Amino acid sequence: MSQPVNTVKKPVSIKKTILRVLLYFVVLDVCVITLYPYFAMLCTALKNRVEIFSGGTVLPVVPLWSNFIDIWSRAPMAKYMLNSVLIAGGSTIIAMLCGIPAAYALARMKFKGQTAFLGFVIVSQMFAPVVLLIGIYQVMQRLGLTDNILGLIFINAAFNQAFTIWLLRGTFMGISAEMEQAATIDGCTRVQSMMKVLLPVAAPGIVTTLIFIFINAWNEYTVALCLISTDDYKPLTVGINTFNGYNMIEWQYLFAASIFAIIPVVILFMCIEKNLVSGLASGGVKG
Amino acid sequence: MSTKTPAAPAASQELARKAPRSSKSKKFFRKVEPYIWIAPSIILMAIFIVTPIVKVFQLSMSKVTRAGLVKGYNNFENFSKVLKSPAFALVLKNTIVWTIAVVVISTVLGFMLALVLNNKFRGRKVARAIVVFPWATTLVIQASAWNFIINKDYGTLNTLLMKIGLISAPVNWTPTPGAYFAWEIACGIFVTIPFVTFCVLSGLQSIDASYYEAATVDGAGYFQKLFSITLPLVKSSLTVATVLNIIYVFNSFPIIWTMTKGDPANHTDTLVTYLYKLAFYNGKQGEASAVSVIGFLILLVCASVYMIYTLRKGDDDL
Repeated sequence: MSQPVNTVKKPVSIKKTILRVLLYFVVLDVCVITLYPYFAMLCTALKNRVEIFSGGTVLPVVPLWSNFIDIWSRAPMAKYMLNSVLIAGGSTIIAMLCGIPAAYALARMKFKGQTAFLGFVIVSQMFAPVVLLIGIYQVMQRLGLTDNILGLIFINAAFNQAFTIWLLRGTFMGISAEMEQAATIDGCTRVQSMMKVLLPVAAPGIVTTLIFIFINAWNEYTVALCLISTDDYKPLTVGINTFNGYNMIEWQYLFAASIFAIIPVVILFMCIEKNLVSGLASGGVKG
Repeated sequence: MSTKTPAAPAASQELARKAPRSSKSKKFFRKVEPYIWIAPSIILMAIFIVTPIVKVFQLSMSKVTRAGLVKGYNNFENFSKVLKSPAFALVLKNTIVWTIAVVVISTVLGFMLALVLNNKFRGRKVARAIVVFPWATTLVIQASAWNFIINKDYGTLNTLLMKIGLISAPVNWTPTPGAYFAWEIACGIFVTIPFVTFCVLSGLQSIDASYYEAATVDGAGYFQKLFSITLPLVKSSLTVATVLNIIYVFNSFPIIWTMTKGDPANHTDTLVTYLYKLAFYNGKQGEASAVSVIGFLILLVCASVYMIYTLRKGDDDL
């Protein structure tokens, strides 16, 4: 087999070089286009008002780092940030507390209505919060949770159940039940065997799910926009619009604040990107 | 698992007390146990997803005052009002254009990008990390950035193109509502591509390299391999990604809300921005709920296809 390969090596390598160059060209283009909005945001965040509205410059003439400090006094940024952390963190905890047992039951037990429950979980993805906002608003009014961070936490947790259960069920099903069975024979209860045997092994999948929910809740905009009216309870996604007033937009502050909202999420996302995708695929494809 | 698990000594006394009933109650417990495990999840979704769904359906068939009080059923008056309003046809058309354009174009581009990123090359990890950016960024911020970039007076797109020398005077990128809508679609595509790319990538990575080697030995060209090996094998990941995308894009609110709020005169409205305005700006909750229900019905078709597909796959596994 090696001989015919050797005889045609020359033309292939020229073709290969061209393809290589083309590949790098495409990848570079994609990266530049993808990063462009972020680059524009960063440049704008470093300009002053006059420079922005007169246009004509790409890079700031003199980088105005003070914009990044000013936003904290011009709007209750610290409060928005704290609210975002509370909402995303709370949603994650509740989604996991409800989702782990459900995924465990789906992966390890057989019961009547299992398929129906799974079907419901899948169908629930069809209902985005925005389409149900009117209903959500009424439920929240009844529970006294409008204009309340707790309300947003429950909504985010509920609407992330599908993903949580889906990803975790896939993770649990990928792990052999033998160890847990051995633990049960040694006298462990189901809860103990899950906590001590299954969860440590499933840790990578759990962390991926956890971070994914956190990001979803952190980035949520629509429900927060609708339910929260008090400035003190707004998360970052809604709060930064303080700089996007009716009369004028303070682009430099809007983008400086945006960068604070983006950075933590992008870092988290890059950590889980690989696991998340294989999880999504195995959940969706393997069933 | 054995039915009789040896009890720990500390608990044995308590167990002995319950002994006569234990095997019967154990059996009963076995039966209800799974439902206890799924109960928290069911309660959470029942209160915060199912109840709103029921409410929306109820409201869609009721006469609702501006304050949100229900004043009895009015048959399908809300639906007929919505369907008769001239804006609705435009909004529906926009929604369909929006969904199809974003999903189709981002699927094609995302698939191509996945093929590119599946090659081994220097800096592949960095490239993959960069491509994730739009997926991780909240849509409001993404849309604000685009809004700024395409601004005709001071946007950076004009500045950049003038610096490069491609244009000599600032171009008005959004002369018509249609042009604005096209930019919203572009933004939608931009943020949707990463999801497709990564779903396809995961499918690509599970393909055994020996298939390609065998095909190369048989003298198959690049496109032959693409259509007879790659596509069939990533079909399932691509299907899942596409169905999920249809649902997400159909229900996508922040991009349009941030860039145009559906203005001028519903020209850039989709169903979700339209219903938001109906409900929370015009106080027409009944009609807004009717729009929601119409949206469900459209999506139901997609979701049922998805559900049948995934559940059938699941049954094959069992």
